[in-house]
Amino acid sequence: MRLAILGAGPGGYVAAIKAAQLGAQVSVIEDTEVGGTCLNRGCIPTKTLLATTELLHKAKNIEEYGLEISGQIIPNLSKIMERKNKVVSIQVKGIRSLFKSWGINLIEGKGMILGPEKIEVKKKDGSTEIVGADKIIIATGSRPAQLPLFPFDGEHILSSDEALSIKSIPKSLIIIGAGVIGCEFAFIFSELGTDITILEIMPRAISLEDPEISEILERELKKKKIKLMTGIKITEVKGQHDGIHVYLEGGKEFVAEKLLVSVGRALNSDAIGLEAVGVQKGTKGEIVVNEKMETNIGSIYAIGDVTGRLLYAHVASTQGKIAAKNVMGGNEKMDYGVVPYAIFTSPEIAAVGLKENQAIEKGIKVKTGHFQFRAIGKAHVMGEITGFVKFVSDETSDRILGVHIIGPHASDLIHEAAVAIKSGLKTKDIADTIHSHPTLSEAMMEAAEDVHGEAIHVPKK
Amino acid sequence: MNPEDLKYHKEHTWAKVSGKKATIGITDYAQSALGDIVYIDLPELDSTVEVNSEIGEIESTKATSSIISPLSGKVIEVNEELTESPEIINEDPYGKGWIAILEIGDAFEMDDLMDASEYEKYVEEEKK
Repeated sequence: MRLAILGAGPGGYVAAIKAAQLGAQVSVIEDTEVGGTCLNRGCIPTKTLLATTELLHKAKNIEEYGLEISGQIIPNLSKIMERKNKVVSIQVKGIRSLFKSWGINLIEGKGMILGPEKIEVKKKDGSTEIVGADKIIIATGSRPAQLPLFPFDGEHILSSDEALSIKSIPKSLIIIGAGVIGCEFAFIFSELGTDITILEIMPRAISLEDPEISEILERELKKKKIKLMTGIKITEVKGQHDGIHVYLEGGKEFVAEKLLVSVGRALNSDAIGLEAVGVQKGTKGEIVVNEKMETNIGSIYAIGDVTGRLLYAHVASTQGKIAAKNVMGGNEKMDYGVVPYAIFTSPEIAAVGLKENQAIEKGIKVKTGHFQFRAIGKAHVMGEITGFVKFVSDETSDRILGVHIIGPHASDLIHEAAVAIKSGLKTKDIADTIHSHPTLSEAMMEAAEDVHGEAIHVPKK
Repeated sequence: MNPEDLKYHKEHTWAKVSGKKATIGITDYAQSALGDIVYIDLPELDSTVEVNSEIGEIESTKATSSIISPLSGKVIEVNEELTESPEIINEDPYGKGWIAILEIGDAFEMDDLMDASEYEKYVEEEKK
């Protein structure tokens, strides 16, 4: 089996390794760098910056921990970026050496599908290579969405890609969009000393999350003196000598040194030859696939962001493994029912399964349980007491439907819930499982107990 | 211990009326029940608030709690000092720990509030 994969992001590279493990002869075509958006322009670089700013935050409050510091703590952006680049390059090298060990052929250049079994690659040195394959997996990903009102210029109007390689810390920054990316950047730059205003068209920040979580996050933004304007409409953006001016409907005006536009992702399904072979696309430009990751063309599969389902690296990787197994004769199906995810704000947010309103919309009789981190010792030990765990369960069967967390280490804690939901467990199963003390995981147990009003560290209601 | 010249709301807030203005805050019982206050989300300046409705939030090391307005009116002043030093509420809930000043909307709402001795009895009941 000769397999060609277009794109080496978390979808493509995982599919490549899985297929190679199963005996395929794999070529991967990548025009930037292995690891894709996630590793080079997304998850990993932002979290590396966040590691720095979280440390900076602790350092600023070092006296609370009984330590004294003589002298100032000064963020050095070029060194911060150096560390970020180093972390990224370690991971890049890791993927490259995995490719080598599995005999995967990495072809660096821009790929164009010429036929159901043929890809043309324009290489960086100007030469062209034709890659023949029995099967093709498209994993071309996505890029920051651009709006006509604010075209990226790399200097004053930035995409998230560009914000990751700025040369100096801006004095002021307007962020368009209070979604995941906008909020993550807000916390990072705010800690570095940037004055931030977030403008959001929806009525609340991270509007896809549980409203109770948005409420806590909005308060945390306020605590950091990050200004948030929701339910707004932008009429004009103008670059002037004193910075970028943003005008809102109703006459309000904001000005800042730079503008970061984070209004979603556009799918990379253009200019890769889909039309020539007749691969079906949907209304958002997504490649239409079935649960086996097959497109309408027999030899062609698609995975990751370009399929327009859930734009997470870990979903892309899972789709990649499924596509690879099916390419090799398997019959695997993708299940989107239990997909945990995390948002790396301060504090973190994480969720899995149904939200309360989704469950109600499905006609399920819902019971919820809440538990605040400030009620457990470990949160105070760490000095991170904000947030809560919320369980959503089926009142009749007691089965856990969803868990939503805002608080310290939410991104780690969520996986207990993911396993529980995948296994069809009840809130009682979590409540009756001993959780070790002193850990943040006690909040999971107590929130599960609270579904039945049985939490210990909650005052009598 | 609760000042005689204040009026009290069952959600443990107080109002001190002078003319058309009322200063509001949370009671000593509320601050001691909450414990160390670490953050206050103040009502918005110039906003109109309704009696019995949430006008802000207080976070302590133990709990988060809504601030319920004892009166209706327009917020004409907020105690900005609390933003930096919310612990002032613990130290002086009826004085320096005031939260906001309202321009009173409906003076008759005062009649629904408790006086100091009624509030003390009410708190005793709550404790049981």
